[in-house]
Amino acid sequence: MSSIAAPKRIFPTFDQVFQGFASQIGMLREMAPPPSLPESVRVRKAVATLIAETNADEAVWLESCIRCGQCTNACHYFQATGDTKYAPLRKMNLYRRVYQRELGPLRWWYRLVTSPVKLSDLEALQELVYDSCSECGRCTMVCPMGIDIASLVHHQRSALVAAELVPPELEALRMEQKHRGTVFGASAEVVRQLVDTIREQAGIEIPLDRDRAEVMVLSSAVDLMGNGQGLLATAKVMNHLGVDWTICSDGFESANFGLLSGDMALWRKQVGPIVAAAERIGAKTLVIAECGHAYPALRWNPMLKGGELPFEMMYMSEYLGRQAKAGRLRLTPIEGRLTYHDPCKTGRRGGAFEEPRALLEAMHADLVEMPANREFNWCCGGGAGIFLLERATRLRDESFRIKMQQVDATGAGTVVVSCASCRLNFEAGRQKNHWDKRVESLVELVADHLVDEPRTGSVMPIRGEAA
Amino acid sequence: MTLLDFARGPAIHWSLIIMVTGIIWRLLGVLVLTRGADLSRPRDAFGNFKGYRTVFSRAWPSGEFRTTTRYQTAMAYGFHLATLVVVIGIVPHIEFITSLTGASWPGLPNAFGVGAGIMALASLLALVARRVSKPGVYCSNWGDYFSWLVMAAPLVTGLMAFAHLGLRYETMLAIHILSAALLFAWFPFGKLMHAFWFIFSRAQSGVVYAHKGVRI
Amino acid sequence: MTTERTLGGFLRHRGVSRRAFLKFCSAMASMMALPASSVTALAEALEQARRPSVIWLSFQECTGCTEALTRSNAPSIEGLIFDFISLDYHHTLQAASGAAAEAAREEAMHENDGQYLLLVDGSIPSVKAYSTIAGISNLDMLKEGAAGAAAIIAIGTCAAYGGLPKADPNPTGAMSVEEIVKDRPIVNIPGCPPLPLAITGLIAHYLAMGVMPELDRLGRPLAFYGENIHDRCYRRPFYDRGLFAETFDDEGARRGWCLYKLGCKAPETYNACAQIKWNQGTSFPIQSGHGCIGCSEPNFWDKGGIYDSVAMGQFGSGPKIAVAASLGAVAGAGAAVLARGKKHKTETELDSDD
Repeated sequence: MSSIAAPKRIFPTFDQVFQGFASQIGMLREMAPPPSLPESVRVRKAVATLIAETNADEAVWLESCIRCGQCTNACHYFQATGDTKYAPLRKMNLYRRVYQRELGPLRWWYRLVTSPVKLSDLEALQELVYDSCSECGRCTMVCPMGIDIASLVHHQRSALVAAELVPPELEALRMEQKHRGTVFGASAEVVRQLVDTIREQAGIEIPLDRDRAEVMVLSSAVDLMGNGQGLLATAKVMNHLGVDWTICSDGFESANFGLLSGDMALWRKQVGPIVAAAERIGAKTLVIAECGHAYPALRWNPMLKGGELPFEMMYMSEYLGRQAKAGRLRLTPIEGRLTYHDPCKTGRRGGAFEEPRALLEAMHADLVEMPANREFNWCCGGGAGIFLLERATRLRDESFRIKMQQVDATGAGTVVVSCASCRLNFEAGRQKNHWDKRVESLVELVADHLVDEPRTGSVMPIRGEAA
Repeated sequence: MTLLDFARGPAIHWSLIIMVTGIIWRLLGVLVLTRGADLSRPRDAFGNFKGYRTVFSRAWPSGEFRTTTRYQTAMAYGFHLATLVVVIGIVPHIEFITSLTGASWPGLPNAFGVGAGIMALASLLALVARRVSKPGVYCSNWGDYFSWLVMAAPLVTGLMAFAHLGLRYETMLAIHILSAALLFAWFPFGKLMHAFWFIFSRAQSGVVYAHKGVRI
Repeated sequence: MTTERTLGGFLRHRGVSRRAFLKFCSAMASMMALPASSVTALAEALEQARRPSVIWLSFQECTGCTEALTRSNAPSIEGLIFDFISLDYHHTLQAASGAAAEAAREEAMHENDGQYLLLVDGSIPSVKAYSTIAGISNLDMLKEGAAGAAAIIAIGTCAAYGGLPKADPNPTGAMSVEEIVKDRPIVNIPGCPPLPLAITGLIAHYLAMGVMPELDRLGRPLAFYGENIHDRCYRRPFYDRGLFAETFDDEGARRGWCLYKLGCKAPETYNACAQIKWNQGTSFPIQSGHGCIGCSEPNFWDKGGIYDSVAMGQFGSGPKIAVAASLGAVAGAGAAVLARGKKHKTETELDSDD
């Protein structure tokens, strides 16, 4: 363990956090609004959404499938349940039908031989594109045609948003974020209170709402509403680095339920304040909290002209990994064998493979890779919002067994993750299966292994590329 | 006009016309669609070009999937290579291609052609056997089976014509040419078009992932 | 012409030994796929065969068929069988001419009404004026001759299938015998010219059995036209090994390799050339170094070039396929442009909905 053992605990442990979230999620279902539009309008809007989101790339992928079935080897939901309806190739069928009827080069023919999409088709699609696809992209790794099925699934999520068929938990959060701008009630006021709590109880300063700062750090609803330890750890690490950083109360939320539900407008809307805040304070670096999907929501947001932004966006593990490589983090060695789980959104679909490993190496960790790692990592089963869906519990539980086998094969006692969603899902699996592994967050692990904490609120900003 | 005259003349002629028209129609009908722009900053400036390697690298399953895809890989390779040998190795086929294009090259002895034809047919049977035995996995539609039939027919009729099995040689030859004509005519409409799509599909995914610094 | 009444007597008179005759009979039996036990019966039946009356009509032809039959450098039993028949009318061979010749034909027809064999070579122009004999059009003469014939033998590809005169654009409207005569048994002996043995063999069979032999779907005796020349060709092993002559004067041609690539039509041609050969078994076209042109098959003249191989497509491909490609390009690009318009319109509609 760390040379500086956590002195006293001001926030609940993560398994307590998990329990709290589980009860909150239960309430979400009742908060979801029922569909408001007539059936025909919902179907029409779903089809229109697919038409609007289809470019040549999607068309080529839809055309390319030869139904060779190899993707079934890659999908954790299929492999865990053996249920053929979860075969990834099935998850593009409805999209292909719409494409063939509406945009395909032979659409005049397909309109004669295929039937139009009905609401019941879209209802049946819900389970395929929400419950049983975490958009992890592992099927793309085996597909001989290299079809990016995950992106096609995502377009269908957009269509189901238009058809008012988002699963209730996601819908409730989407509505909350759309109309109130918060997730689980995590407002600017909550941020201020938590910053105060951390200052008062842990004596750690979090520079909130500074006019100018080199580094802007995001938080996430999970940290703000439950796991205060996460924000505390982030603050400790940032202060240790001595960089000129801040959190903006008008742009702090990593979580993006626009992306998770498939609501493109909300995705775009949610990104706006963050970018505006970063530009206003003149940030050079935007650090995204450990919230997997926030990485594609911001860093890989195709609607955001990343090349023209005056700042660089990095995932927490990426940022810390670079600092470690540059020798700016002084860390104590970590004991015991551990393994690292690449969150799908930052790993295979984000490319941040080496930085977290460099970070663990800086702690001289006995890192053993899982049999399938990096690009081939198995999803934990809880990504892309699935952790929130009660109906998907069986799918999550069964697919988590694959993850457990992978971790068990390493002989590690600890599995390190760098995504709140993965971590919640691992925690759920750990508790249900009485699994004897520890699940650690990367940033919290780093915070626990810092050598001689520097004074808070350093005024010696580190300049240069990594800052 | 005998059946053979019909097969060699109008049938093959029109099937080629349908094939050429259809292929270009379908390719352009897709490729001329709008291009989505990914405005996010690539991980490294010229990284996207590395994505094109996927067109080639995906020809072989990665180590992670080598075991699970072994059967399919072996059979698919067996089928494609054997069919290639049959199509470009047998003298009558070369003669046909010569009559179309003017290009010519030396052929293989018949034994190789027969061997390759049997291999192609056997692997095609092995593939369809798996498809039929696991309907849930493959999610086949009628087009998959039709494409299979259309592909198997020239192989069966070709071997029969060569071995003088069944009908008289020139009738079998005519049926063989007609089955090839059906293959040509069906080519643009079913999944046989993957002969073209694989390049674009792999390249696109390769570039999408390379943009993020991921090799797939 | 001979005066002997039976074939046996006639052959003995001409110095043919019984041994040679039996040898001919067993060869005939094997050609016609008769069992070995039937050779004696065949010989007896042939020996006892009486001279049939034969009328030979020549229409749009080149006399090649007659030449093939009669131009043997040594007398053969086939030739002698031909001599044996009572050839009552053959305007190329007969001594009589003009009105006397026509009188001989009419007399033979009258005397042997319902009994005589009608042999035809050459095709028949449906436009009567193109070919007449003694003022009678070919068409009328054939119909008149066929009416009283026991059977008709169409000799040569012209009589059997129309042959060269029928080649595109067929200016005379040439027709084959079987296109005109529907109510008499007809046997086709195609070839340009046909094998003499096929003609005399058929006559021998008719003499011995009193009926015509088994025919294929093109009306040819299976005994002579049952097999593919390619299958019987002595160059076939080179085909199987993939050894081909590429030109008529290359190494492959000198070494006698397969002529498939030089347009040999043997794979789709049914005839006995490769077994029986020509000029008393001396050679046949493929042996002389030229591919088979498929002369015993209907419309052989119009089946693409003589030097185009069997596998070649018979069409002028280039321009039409280029047109097809441009059509495809227009259709495809058009479909895509329309789809783009639809997409943009849908996007605008969705935006205004929100």
